[in-house]
Amino acid sequence: MISSIRVLAREEFGIVQLKVIIPHQNETGTRKDEHGVIIPAYFVREGSVTLNGAPLLDIELGPSVSKDPFLQFRFPGKKGDALKVAFLDSRNELFASETVVQ
Amino acid sequence: MKRRQFIATGAVCSAYFLSMSPERLFGAWKAKDFQQCTIEQAFMAALGTRMPVSSEKITIVAPPIAEDSSVVPVQVISSLKSEVLYLFAEKNVTPLVFKCTLQGNVLPWFSLNIKMKDSSTLYAVVKSDGIFFMTSVHVEIVAQAC
Repeated sequence: MISSIRVLAREEFGIVQLKVIIPHQNETGTRKDEHGVIIPAYFVREGSVTLNGAPLLDIELGPSVSKDPFLQFRFPGKKGDALKVAFLDSRNELFASETVVQ
Repeated sequence: MKRRQFIATGAVCSAYFLSMSPERLFGAWKAKDFQQCTIEQAFMAALGTRMPVSSEKITIVAPPIAEDSSVVPVQVISSLKSEVLYLFAEKNVTPLVFKCTLQGNVLPWFSLNIKMKDSSTLYAVVKSDGIFFMTSVHVEIVAQAC
């Protein structure tokens, strides 16, 4: 099962600004619910970005990233470049998306 | 749509999604780096050094006073030749928040929202030519959310 993520990539003056939003509750594992029971940790752990098939970024995230992680990166590129973005959470669920730089 | 047609489209769709999965396997994530410990132990585990060299060529953009501790916007900018960027929050149960390895010619810049357990110092660490450099900034939390 592959869940979807929102990826936006816009080029301006030769620099691509990449925005990634992963819909994920990102539980730290230290929070308690109303009955005082600890909510188990559940968060996005790893990610990778490739540009035209070449690796661009390897990302590792800890549990202290906010709910619905919103990440931004910048790199040189041009309109029409193919981007692949993939993330994996602590339950090994894959979040992936492919997009084209605009 | 006929049932047979539906199955055929389904098969094509799932094949497409399977081909989309990343070529390189995940598995870089190390529980050792992201363990619950003090900031010194986190530095030791992730970087192998207790105190990286201070550098003015790294900037952290974060609000000095954060209203909501569950969403603190942080930007890290480096003008050093950077290989790996790290972000640590001192008083968080898991101090290492974010690590990204730059390949190709990605600019040493990132922005994300983080959770902070308490008012504390944020550390941005950059690995440049095998040496770790860092900078820090203090963020005051007004309202507790988590």
